[in-house]
Amino acid sequence: MANLWHKLTQHDGNGWWNLPHGPSNELNPPFEGPIGGAWFGNLWRTLTHGNVSHAGVGFYWLVGFVLAVITLLEVWLFTLEGLGGWFIPILLFLSVVKFVGVVAYFMHLRFDNRMFTFFFASAMIIGILIFSILLVIMKYGNQPVLF
Amino acid sequence: MTQAAATEHHEPVENTSTGLNSRKLMMWAFLASDVMFFGVFIATYLVYRGKSLVGPYPSEILDIPITSVSTFVLLMSSLAMVLGLHYVKAGEKNKATLWILVVVVLGAIFMGFQFYEFRTFAHEGLTPRTNIFGTTFFILTGIHGAHVTIGVIWMAFMAYSSHFGQLRQDNALDLEIAGLYWHFVDIVWIVIFTVIYLISASDGPPLGVGPTIIHG
Amino acid sequence: MTTKSLRMPQLFPRPKSSTGIWSWIGTVDHKRIGTLYGITSFIWFIVGGLEALMIRGQLASAENDLIGPETYNQLFTMHGTTMVFLVIMPLSAAFFNWLIPLQIGARDVAFPRLNALSFWVFLFGSLLINFSWITGNAPNGGWFGYAPLSGATFNPGLGMTYWVVGLNVLGLASIAAGLNFIVTILNMRAPGMSMFKIPIFTWMTLITSVLIVLAMPVLAVAGIQLMTDRVYGTHFFNSLGGGDPVMWQHIFWLFGHPEVYILILPAMGIVSEVLPTFARKPLFGYPFVVFAGAAIAFMGWFVWSHHMFTVGLGPAANTAFSISTMLIAVPTGVKIFNWLGTLWGGNIRLNTPMLFSISFIAMFTIGGLSGVIHASPPTDAQQQDTYFVVAHFHYVLVGGALLGIFSGIYYWWPKFTGYFLNEKLGIANWALMMIGFNLQFAPMHWLGMDGMPRRIYTYGENMGWETSNMAASIGGAILGLGILVFIINVFYSKMNKVMAGNDPWDGRTLEWSTSSPPPVHDFDEIPQVKYRDDFWFQKYPETIAEYHHDEHDQAVPSGAQLDEVEEALPVVSGGSYGHGDGHSAIHLPDMSYYPFILALGIAGLGAGFLSNNVVIAVGAVILVWGLIGWAMEPVNDPK
Repeated sequence: MANLWHKLTQHDGNGWWNLPHGPSNELNPPFEGPIGGAWFGNLWRTLTHGNVSHAGVGFYWLVGFVLAVITLLEVWLFTLEGLGGWFIPILLFLSVVKFVGVVAYFMHLRFDNRMFTFFFASAMIIGILIFSILLVIMKYGNQPVLF
Repeated sequence: MTQAAATEHHEPVENTSTGLNSRKLMMWAFLASDVMFFGVFIATYLVYRGKSLVGPYPSEILDIPITSVSTFVLLMSSLAMVLGLHYVKAGEKNKATLWILVVVVLGAIFMGFQFYEFRTFAHEGLTPRTNIFGTTFFILTGIHGAHVTIGVIWMAFMAYSSHFGQLRQDNALDLEIAGLYWHFVDIVWIVIFTVIYLISASDGPPLGVGPTIIHG
Repeated sequence: MTTKSLRMPQLFPRPKSSTGIWSWIGTVDHKRIGTLYGITSFIWFIVGGLEALMIRGQLASAENDLIGPETYNQLFTMHGTTMVFLVIMPLSAAFFNWLIPLQIGARDVAFPRLNALSFWVFLFGSLLINFSWITGNAPNGGWFGYAPLSGATFNPGLGMTYWVVGLNVLGLASIAAGLNFIVTILNMRAPGMSMFKIPIFTWMTLITSVLIVLAMPVLAVAGIQLMTDRVYGTHFFNSLGGGDPVMWQHIFWLFGHPEVYILILPAMGIVSEVLPTFARKPLFGYPFVVFAGAAIAFMGWFVWSHHMFTVGLGPAANTAFSISTMLIAVPTGVKIFNWLGTLWGGNIRLNTPMLFSISFIAMFTIGGLSGVIHASPPTDAQQQDTYFVVAHFHYVLVGGALLGIFSGIYYWWPKFTGYFLNEKLGIANWALMMIGFNLQFAPMHWLGMDGMPRRIYTYGENMGWETSNMAASIGGAILGLGILVFIINVFYSKMNKVMAGNDPWDGRTLEWSTSSPPPVHDFDEIPQVKYRDDFWFQKYPETIAEYHHDEHDQAVPSGAQLDEVEEALPVVSGGSYGHGDGHSAIHLPDMSYYPFILALGIAGLGAGFLSNNVVIAVGAVILVWGLIGWAMEPVNDPK
C-alpha cells in the first residue's frame, strides 16, 4: 500500500503509469507492462512518451480522453434513476478524479517541483476544511444538540 | 524533490534561490488565492442550496444536456492548451499556433453557451434578483465567465505572438503560465458543473414552500 | 527579438529622471515605494486619529451633543476601517517594501512594477473610501459592516457602497503585494541564505503575505456579494429573498480572523528584530518563533466563529471554536516567552526602539489575556459588544501592532534616512503614548464589565460611566499629544541632523551592512551568507564558536538539524535581480508609469460602481491601456 502511494505520488519513473523525465531515465530493459509482453510496453512508450519530454502528445490525448469519458459517465449517471443516496458521493468522487487529472497532468504538478503542489494543496486543504466547517455550522449549527 | 532530481529536469534551472521561475511561482500563489476566492462563492451556493422561496427552481430551469456540451468544450480546450504548450516547447510553431487558436475558439464557444444560458434563464424569469438560487447561480457562474473571458483574451494574445514568432521555445514559459490560469478556470468549472448542475438539478421548492405535490 | 517587435506606441516617454514628481510616479524602486506607503498611511493615521479624538470628545461626558448620532456612526466606522486597512496594513507594507530586499540581500523585489501597482491601487482605494466624507455620505455600518444593517434596505445612500468598493480595491492592492513578497522572499535570497537563515522579520512577512493572499479573496467575495446586494438587488444577505445575514458574519470573519494576524505578525517580526539588537543576544529560540508564527497562521483559520458566539450557532460549534481559540493562545504565548528569553541575561540598552518593543510585550500580553477571556462563550456572552471588547482589541492593535510599528520606525529611521530620530523627543513620545494609551483603554475594561455597549453615541448621567469615560478621553488626548511629539521629532531631527553610520545600533541583519540610506541598487556587492545573523558574525567572528559550537553545523551551511525542512525549499543557487551575470553589472529595472495608469483604471472601475456606467467604461479603457502597455513594455529598454 505504501508502495502504491509512493508510485502514485512520487515521480521516479518506475511504474508503467510513471513517465520518465527524459530518455536517460527510461527503464532498461523496458518495462513489459502489467499484463505481460513487450508489445504492451512498446505500445505504451510510443503512445505516451514524447521524444524528449517526459510526457508526449499521446499521453495528453489519453488523459483528455479519460476526462471526456468521465464527463460522459457523469451525464449518464445523471440520467439514471435509483442511485439514491449514492448519487452525490459518486459524482463528487468523479469530479475529484477529473480535478486531479487536470491538475496533475495538464498543469504538470505531477512532474513539477513539489513547491508548486505545496502552494496549491495548502490553499485547497485550508479552503476545504473551513468551507466544510461553514457548511456544517450553517446546516446543523442552530440545532440545540448535535451529539 | 532532491537536488539531484531537480537538475535532471528539462526545465532550465532558474537563477533564483529556489531554482524556480519567479513568475511561475507567483502564478501558483495567485491560483492558491483564487482557490479561496471561488471557494467562498461555491460555499455560499451550497449553504443557500434549496433555500429559494419562489421559483424558478433549479429543477425547472437547468438544462443539463446543453451544459454538458459546454462543459465538454471547456474540458477539451484544456487538452488543446496542453498540446499547444507541448508544440511550443518542441519548436513546432504552426502546430502550436493552431492548438492555441483551438483554445481561443473553444473558450469563445463556452462563453457563447454561457451567454445563451443567461439569456434563456432571464427569458424564463430567472434573474439574480428573482430568488437566492438566481443570486448565487448568476454571480458564481458570472465570475467564472469573467475569468474565462480574461483567459480567452490572454490566449488570443498568445496565438498572435505565436503566429508572429514571438512565442518560441525559449519563452514557452509565457504560455505555460497562461496555461496554468486556463487549466485552473477549467477545474473550477469541473467543480461548478458537478455541484451546481448535476447535483442540484433536481432541487425543487423547499419543504413548505410553493405548490405542494401530493403523490397518489 | 529577430522578428518584428511588439511594442505599444507610448503616449508619454518612459520616465527617466531621478528627481521630481515623475520620478515618484514612475518609480519601481522598493525603497521609494516603501516611503510612499509610509507617508500615505501616516497621513491616514492622523485622519483616523482625529476621528478617534472626535469620538472620545463626544463620549467625554454624559448626554453630550458635540456631534450627532449620524456623524458618530460615520466616525466609528471610518475610524475602524481607516486604522485597519489604511494604517496598520500599509504601514507594515512600508516596512516590507523597505526592508525585505535589504534583509535578504537582494537589489529589489521580484516584481518591481507590480510593487508600484500595489501602492497606487492602495492610494486610489484609500482616496475613494475617504472621498465619501466629501460627499457627506461616509460609511456608517461599523468596520465589519454587518448585514442587514449594511444592506440597501436599512442603509440607503452611497455610504456603505463606498465602503465595499473601497475595500475591494484595497484588497486587490494587498493581494498583489502579498504575491510579490512571497515570491521575493522565496526566490531572491542572497547566496547561502537558506530559509532558516533569513531574519525573523522576513519570516513574519512571508507568513503575513501567505495570509494576505489567502484571506483577502474572502473579503473580496464578501465585498462583491454585499455590493451586488446593494447595487443590483441580489439576495445574498437579504432574508426576504432567501438569503441569510449570518452568512455575512461567517464570510467576514473567515477573512477577519486571519486579518487580525495580518495586522499583528509584522509587528511581532519588528519586535523580534529590535529585542536581539538591543539585548545584544541572538533571538532566543528562532525556530520556535518561526514555527509559532506558522502555527498561528494555520490555526488562525479555524477560530473565526469566536466573533459570533452570541449568534446562536449551537453548543457544539461554540465549544469547538472555544477550544480552537484557547489553543491559538499557545503559539502566541510561545513567542512572548521567546522574547522574554531573548531579554534574559542580555546586555540591554534602553533606546527608544527598545522602550517601544518592551512596551509591546507588556501591552500585547494584556491584550492577549483579555482575548483568551473571550474564548469562553459564557464569558463572551457577557462581554459581547461592550467596551471590554473595545479595550481588548485596542490593547492588541495599538498596544501591539502600533507600538511595534513605532519601535520599527525609531529602529530603522537611521537606515531609511541616514540620521537618527531625536532620542529625548523619542522618549517623550514613548512616555506620552504609553500614559495616554493606558489611561484611554484600561478604563474601558471596567466600563465594559459595567455594561457600557459599543457604538453608542452617548449615555445617561445615572449610569456611573462618566469618570471612566472622562479618563479615557483625557488619555486619548495624551496619546494624540504623543503622536504630535513624534511628528515634531521627525521635523526636528530633519533640521538638526545627527548623522548615523551604516550600523548605528550594532545590528545583526544584512540591511545594516549597506550604507544609510542605501544606494539605489541596495548592495554594491551581493552578500554571501553563511550564518543566521550573518552580519553580526562578520563583525564579531569570535562569537561564532559560542553560537555554532557544533562543528557539523559549520561544515554544512544549511544547518544540519533543519535538513528536512530545507529539502522542501532547495537552494540551487543564490540569485537576486541582475545577479546572474556576475557582480560587475548592476542592473536595475527601468521606471514605468504603467502601474500608475493601471491603478487609475482600477480606481475608475471602482468609482464607476458608485456613479454610473460611463465611468466604468472609462475606467475599463484606462485599465486595458495600462495592461497592454505594461505587457508590451520590456523591463529594461534596450540601450
